[in-house]
Amino acid sequence: MRAYWQLTLAQLRIFLRNRQVLFWTLAFPIFLMVMLGSFLGNGNGMSVTIGYVDQDHSPQSKQLADILKKNEAISLEKTSSKKDALDQLKQGDVQLVVEVPKGYEKRMKNSSQNEKPFTLPVFYNETDMAVSQIGQQLVYNAVDAVSKQKADYKPAVVINPKGVEALNLRYIDFLVPGIVAMMILSNNMNGVAGQIASWRERGILRRMQGTTLKAHTFIAAQITARLMLNGLQALIVLMVARLVFDVEVRGSWLTLVSFVILGTLAFMAIGFIIAGIAKTPESAGPIAGFLSFPMLFLGGVFFPIKNMPEFLQPIVHILPIAHLTTALRETMNVGATFMSLGTEALVLGGWIIGAFIVASLTFKWE
Amino acid sequence: MSSHETIIKAEHLVKRYGDFYAVNGVDFEVHRGEVFGLLGPNGAGKTTTLEMLVGLRKPDAGTAWIGEFDIRKDLERIKEVIGVQLQSTTLFELLTVEEILKMYASFYPKHISIPELIEDMILTDKRKSRIKSLSGGQKQRLAIALALVHDPWIIFLDEPTTGLDPQARRTLWDIVLNLKQKGKTIMLTTHYMDEAHVLCDRIAIMDQGKMIALDTPENLVKNLQSDSAVEFRIDESAPFHLEEIKGVTQIGGHKDVQVLYTDNLQETLTSLIETASEKGLKLTDLQTRTATLEDVFIHMTGRSLREG
Repeated sequence: MRAYWQLTLAQLRIFLRNRQVLFWTLAFPIFLMVMLGSFLGNGNGMSVTIGYVDQDHSPQSKQLADILKKNEAISLEKTSSKKDALDQLKQGDVQLVVEVPKGYEKRMKNSSQNEKPFTLPVFYNETDMAVSQIGQQLVYNAVDAVSKQKADYKPAVVINPKGVEALNLRYIDFLVPGIVAMMILSNNMNGVAGQIASWRERGILRRMQGTTLKAHTFIAAQITARLMLNGLQALIVLMVARLVFDVEVRGSWLTLVSFVILGTLAFMAIGFIIAGIAKTPESAGPIAGFLSFPMLFLGGVFFPIKNMPEFLQPIVHILPIAHLTTALRETMNVGATFMSLGTEALVLGGWIIGAFIVASLTFKWE
Repeated sequence: MSSHETIIKAEHLVKRYGDFYAVNGVDFEVHRGEVFGLLGPNGAGKTTTLEMLVGLRKPDAGTAWIGEFDIRKDLERIKEVIGVQLQSTTLFELLTVEEILKMYASFYPKHISIPELIEDMILTDKRKSRIKSLSGGQKQRLAIALALVHDPWIIFLDEPTTGLDPQARRTLWDIVLNLKQKGKTIMLTTHYMDEAHVLCDRIAIMDQGKMIALDTPENLVKNLQSDSAVEFRIDESAPFHLEEIKGVTQIGGHKDVQVLYTDNLQETLTSLIETASEKGLKLTDLQTRTATLEDVFIHMTGRSLREG
């Protein structure tokens, strides 16, 4: 028991003193999260900047501006000169220009049923069609609201959109559990494989074999130390996600921690197998890379699993990473309970048992 | 010393790699309280023999007893009573001297006082230093400290001074002699003659997997039956029969250096110079010295230790 604690302590000390490894294993997932999160993460909506050239300066034109402003997707930029506004449009600083010509108020007040509707010029840039389309739709909605108000229109039918999960999920919410899963995969599988293979090469394990230390004590201490560190690292990443991107954990932390532990054990066991197979520390890296790279892309870390081609689906569904990402995502995004994630827990459990059996058969001190 | 109590007994140990016999039927006994040396060039099978005794390699044939324990069956018991320093062991470089000693101490049921051990190994200044920052000699002393942490009866040291500077070697010799004084049995391997001579009570000379001699250093040299050696260089193409020189008991030599062994230095030397003069040959680098273990080895194998 003393040996177990001493070895755990030693492993933790080695980790904490290896500043570079510590930094990069944490920096990479956080960097990835911040990068992807900032580019793609600000919700599903996009924002359109509209240049607003008010030449009427009337309460009516102000009212239209207010309606536009109310829409969160629109940021309104008032410009006095039409020429300046169009220049900005050409440079892409604004995506759309709405011009309210002189006489708008007058026309609105004196309008009658027979007259043609007032024409509001809206300028857009053809090189950015997608945003222009959306922008035009937004302006149309605003103008429509004005028209309806004016006509005292009462709708007969309305829709009420409801998401099935009743959640407002952004890409960052999808991404964070994936990144936590990726960390667990690479820190354990690649980490264990590299470290054990190198300790063996340098004769560190051999020297310990010359003592009364038992292999299972050594392995148990390894697992304990890595569980503690991985738990901590996962926690740090979640804290950053929480503070920077406001990502919530909707399910219970206990479920989340349970799956972090299951994932850590499964990938550590695979790491021990790789360490057993690899003849040199130099070959452990590429073997681990060969296994981890496809898993990162197929396992739902960055893209949903259902986006994978049909023929890959059966393979994807036996990968431990796929079940880990699903479980973490369901727990964090949807708030699933441990019981409802039975399949994922079972598959990961199966991997843990199977891989540890193979690992114990392939493990070598030298 | 309870004069010849056997503590290690090796019986026909064999280790084979394919067709190559690394150790080919080695028998010997080590007595309690002695320093026993395995001497031989690289590849002679010294390390393999030692590693079979400490349980790191399984013998293909034969066995050995450490105390009453058989190395084939009672390895766990053996590990409690032996301490091992392996050739070129690396340790966790980011731990400190004190931390790694505490860790190794925890692997055993009992251990000695760590501060005292650090003091004995002259590492007190380095107690809190990381292993990475230690010098070669300090690392080697730490490796020996790790071998001693559980107070073993027998200490195995595999080439403890290889690669150390002369001063560090001497420090290490003192440590080994100190351990002997405390009543430990020490088995070490070396390819340094002087080291074997200074440290060992008895020496087994190994060559190509076989044990070719086993005795005290004094007896080994004495059995050479010559107490002096004459070394010189000579033009090899000249016809020169060394057997003609008077008083020569044995002829040795390697490369272009000739060595004559003799019990009568004056007679041999005079005869050598006369013969050379008669034939008009020029002797260079002529020197005389007392015979050493190196000469024993050359005599027995026809090769120098350092040639491997």
